[in-house]
Amino acid sequence: MRLFILSLLAACAQALHSYEAGVTDWHKPFAGVPLLHSDSTSPVFHRSKREDGQSSSVVLSATQSNVLAAYHSVNGSLAWRHLFEDDDNIIAFEKDKDVVATLSGPGGAHFRIFDSTAGYLLSETRLHDPASGRLQEPESLGTNVAFGSEEKEENIFVLTNGHTLRRLDRRTGEVRWGWTAPDQTSLVVYSKIRVMPSTVYLLGLTKSFASYTLHITSLSPETGEVINSGDYPSSITSGLSEVFILSDVNNPDTNPQIVWLEEGAIKSFRLTPDLKSKFSVVKGAVYKTIEDVGLSEHGQFVATTDDGSGRVVKLTPEGLKVIWEFSDSATSPQRSGSIYSGGVDVAGFPYIARVFWMHSLRLASAHVFAAHLAEGKGLVTGFTFPFKTGEHGVIRHVAVEAANPEPYRVLARLALTTSTGAVQMWQQDQLQWSREEGLADIRVAELVELPEPKIASHSDRDQETFSARVARQLLDAKDFPQYAVNFVRRFVTGSYASVSASVAPSANTSEPLSRDAFGFRKVIVAATSHGKLYGIDSANGEILWSRVFGLGWAAQVGGQIVPVKMFVTRTVIDGDSPQVVVVTQRKANNGLVDTVIFHVDALTGDDARDKSQSVDVLQGEDIVSGPLVEAYLLRTEAGRAVVCLDEFLQVHVYPGNDEATHALEKILPSLRIPLRTGPPGQRRLTGHQVPQQVEFTGKHIAYPTWSLPFPPTEDIRAIFARPSGPVASFGKVLGNRTTLYKYLNPNLVGVVTGPPSTAPPSDSAACSIYLVDGGKGTIIYHTVLPSVAGACDVKAALVENWLVYHYYDNEVGVNQAKGHRVVSVELYEGYGVDDKRRSSELSSLSNETTAVSVYEQAYIFPRGIRTLTPTSTSYGITVKDIIVANENNQIQSFPRRFLDPRRPKQKPTAEEAEEWLIQYDPVLPDDSKRVLSHNYQVAKTRRIITSPALLESTSLVFAYGLDLFFTRVAPSNTFDVLSESFNKPQLVITIAGLALAIAVAKPIVARKRLRERWYN
Amino acid sequence: MRIPLALLALTSSCLSALALDLKGRIQWNDRCPGIDDLGQAKVVLDNGKHRGGVTRDGAFTIPGVPAGTYVLSVVAHDHIFEQLRVDVYESESLPEVRPYFPGTPLSSPSSVTLPYPIVLSARAKHDYFVPRESFNLLAMFQNPMMMMMLGAGVLVLLMPTMMKNMDPEVMEEFNERQAKMSGMQSALQSGDIMGGITQMLAGEEPKAASSGTSKGATSSGAKQRSGKNKRR
Repeated sequence: MRLFILSLLAACAQALHSYEAGVTDWHKPFAGVPLLHSDSTSPVFHRSKREDGQSSSVVLSATQSNVLAAYHSVNGSLAWRHLFEDDDNIIAFEKDKDVVATLSGPGGAHFRIFDSTAGYLLSETRLHDPASGRLQEPESLGTNVAFGSEEKEENIFVLTNGHTLRRLDRRTGEVRWGWTAPDQTSLVVYSKIRVMPSTVYLLGLTKSFASYTLHITSLSPETGEVINSGDYPSSITSGLSEVFILSDVNNPDTNPQIVWLEEGAIKSFRLTPDLKSKFSVVKGAVYKTIEDVGLSEHGQFVATTDDGSGRVVKLTPEGLKVIWEFSDSATSPQRSGSIYSGGVDVAGFPYIARVFWMHSLRLASAHVFAAHLAEGKGLVTGFTFPFKTGEHGVIRHVAVEAANPEPYRVLARLALTTSTGAVQMWQQDQLQWSREEGLADIRVAELVELPEPKIASHSDRDQETFSARVARQLLDAKDFPQYAVNFVRRFVTGSYASVSASVAPSANTSEPLSRDAFGFRKVIVAATSHGKLYGIDSANGEILWSRVFGLGWAAQVGGQIVPVKMFVTRTVIDGDSPQVVVVTQRKANNGLVDTVIFHVDALTGDDARDKSQSVDVLQGEDIVSGPLVEAYLLRTEAGRAVVCLDEFLQVHVYPGNDEATHALEKILPSLRIPLRTGPPGQRRLTGHQVPQQVEFTGKHIAYPTWSLPFPPTEDIRAIFARPSGPVASFGKVLGNRTTLYKYLNPNLVGVVTGPPSTAPPSDSAACSIYLVDGGKGTIIYHTVLPSVAGACDVKAALVENWLVYHYYDNEVGVNQAKGHRVVSVELYEGYGVDDKRRSSELSSLSNETTAVSVYEQAYIFPRGIRTLTPTSTSYGITVKDIIVANENNQIQSFPRRFLDPRRPKQKPTAEEAEEWLIQYDPVLPDDSKRVLSHNYQVAKTRRIITSPALLESTSLVFAYGLDLFFTRVAPSNTFDVLSESFNKPQLVITIAGLALAIAVAKPIVARKRLRERWYN
Repeated sequence: MRIPLALLALTSSCLSALALDLKGRIQWNDRCPGIDDLGQAKVVLDNGKHRGGVTRDGAFTIPGVPAGTYVLSVVAHDHIFEQLRVDVYESESLPEVRPYFPGTPLSSPSSVTLPYPIVLSARAKHDYFVPRESFNLLAMFQNPMMMMMLGAGVLVLLMPTMMKNMDPEVMEEFNERQAKMSGMQSALQSGDIMGGITQMLAGEEPKAASSGTSKGATSSGAKQRSGKNKRR
């Protein structure tokens, strides 16, 4: 039987050819937007020596997508990245020479060491059970990594959970000794380590009434024995961000000092192993903040005085000394606040960069200070660079690397992170590269069709003189020879538009956007949670345009725009250029939430409301002053409109013109809106209807008509609906000429429920999946699935009458077979064959909507998945495959034939064979030929979108998550175009050969005939 | 103040009720010669709650595994590894490792036990592509059907000259045989295959040129059709 399936598989395999890889598909790997909230995760330059003596520089960064990544400083390509699991957040990383060490998980549960040039994992150690990790706020509090000083290179000191220090071996990750604070319940939280050759200092804070008190412990690095420990009278209000230990690697004899800010004064304390010395105060000014710019090991930091000017303070053997004040750095309306950042050059000398934005010049400016230059007096070099604030928002973080090629000359490289999630590299005033890392955080995306290319040349003038027309046509005729040559070549070689060819436009053409022959080229419009909207060419993944969302009134207080839904409100079929509406929630920093709509042209990104310039930020329209409950696209004859429901269930329509309002009123009586209601823990599904009458506010207000409570052990986890695609056939003709009619109730919604998040996790908790008639709340299909320790990891997709869901089964029940399962369910009308009920047209009040027969089968799935989606084609005739993003970072397709719930349990009879049914086999084959993403690592995929092409056979697949991946699939092969393997040259040669044979044979035959006449 | 490491380990293990660190390594082989080829990979138990990353030297450790029966699998992008069944016991004894086939019940363990620490090696590498059927003139003429056709064409061209140079006696014999052959051919065409074959057997000499042509044409025709079917 297996053999039969395999042969069948081979027969219908539509696998990739290697020459198609990278041509019909593309993949853009990302690392994610850098984590900026803590110095221990934000981007930093790292220079490591290679074996040949050369050194190469990378930018290391931990990201919001939970990835540790290194970019090549030269070209911005990803040198390597390491993906961390979703429940194992990176909380700190530290680099040294050829390794990078990370701490991740609650309280720093996992410790890993990576090779810094290639990203290989060198060792992985679990320091404590993640469940016993202490969650701190911020996450990085209570954890730290420090490398041993010069002679004791093999040591790494790791502080976790705020009270445990371990010395580990750098090569093996083996723990040499561990020390735990004696009183773990005390209020002391350790947070910093400073390793000196003879002593390890631990710096912590003790919480007292209004402020924190410093707590320091010194230990022996060899044995881990405590030398001394104690509290030091201090009152720190701002937490650990303004306490740090200074030391000087270039001057190891200088004792390290603790520096903190207390009531406007910088206080410091000399660290000796016995912890006996007095604190001193830096005199001269009142300070607002002090900032560790990453040079604490070089004895430098930046202090800001109360007028905003920045001063560099340096550790000297005599104590702390202000060595520089940045000129014009006082707070001023002409410029933004300064960002300070420290870096080192190849020789290890420290540099401090100050970056700020000048409002008047609309340029960014950088000043780089080098303390060791100009005979130790300090040297500042400055430059401005044209940062595009309209495209990338504002600069959030700067990392700097400097070089000193000749005396009095400093070259600086700046790695910027912007508020829209871009990472940019500037070398002086030149932009070296820019990466749109915000694309790793797409919230909503749509594929938008492109208009046809304009072929014929039209004359605009109706009254064209005869001679002018002749002249124009003659001019047009100059292309004719080329056309003729092309025609002949096309005819002979068969180089027609191919379904396996790239549809990307050739380089350096300035043609307007247009679709290709088969409609494979579309525009992907994607909105990220970093406030940016992108138009991406689906042919090659290039960004066509991008817009930054404007904050409206919230620009005064700051805020964030979170895209919720995206609708295509005008397509090319409607005649004009396509348009897209993005429904977003604006969360202002003062706590107000509004619903804002952005309306753009999908081809250019221009504001379709003509309210904002194309170079400026995109301005939206506040449609609801309050949060959004749900948004829908209303399709009417008059066009498409967006309907939003606010928290009072008022109905808002966009655009608010009369046409849309009338269209809404016409459709109101048939609207049935199921919504998730109730407080968390008692969520229920409630159906709503909208009355014809408007309230005094001028809006319709939806009212509840039915309610579906779930058992108290269940809470709604997800609601999914059927995609609105065309249905080609309403029934399925069986082998015995009877018909099963598909159950196509338009109100059908799927609900996944699980144990409430408040309930304690237990293995007995169960998850459920329901199919509910959204018109009246009837449960059409229900099944209970096992949960994994109280978590429901159920992925489901509904298309036409077909429901597919995936879950992990760890039930120690029958036969104890645990594994991933996928269940395929099909719903048919009535209670048997030929029982036609017209479910797609039934009124939702009809009783017949509950007359359903269910066919289902479960299969063993090869592995876990992240998401699944069915393919979609323009007419819905083609068989629908299921596309999954699996945990192997692959995008894989599973053919409908294997998932058919009617696969017979015995050898197929002649009738079943006629339907192409194959015998049931519980194990779904894991076919690597159906891995659409082949060699690409498509990581952390959150969603897959499928979209029809013009060819009925082909469906476009776009996956987003951390990476972007695009390809096209033909579930039933490309039946509507000539096969790729069709050999036109062979046909032409055969015909030519036959013609030649005729030409040769004709005179021979004629001669023979003639001879026959003569001699017979 | 310093707590010995053993004590620390003990306290941490007390927290997670006698858990075991499952150790093993990946044996590099021809299919997967090193970490460069393998990329970022992890070894997971069941659905990935317990897991361990594969380090540069191929070693992995899954920390803190409580007693129970688990299915161990390797999550690697390009390589296929066997699944194993691992039984971890409450007592101090080492975990038992057995081969496991997906979908088979866990209630009846296989009698084969594998050594611990676990040693895994790549069984195969994913092959994502199908080879391209390219056009090749030489290959086209190496097709038996094409060769027959060419042979037939050459014979057609050469036949008149051969006939001219033949002895009248041989010519007579040849004509006789040709008549027989045409009879056989008509029998074949009318569907009387047996008759055709008997006639063919009767007319011993297979050297006849025309018979070769017709035989070649029919058989190659069938071949061509089957070939096409295969491709589809």
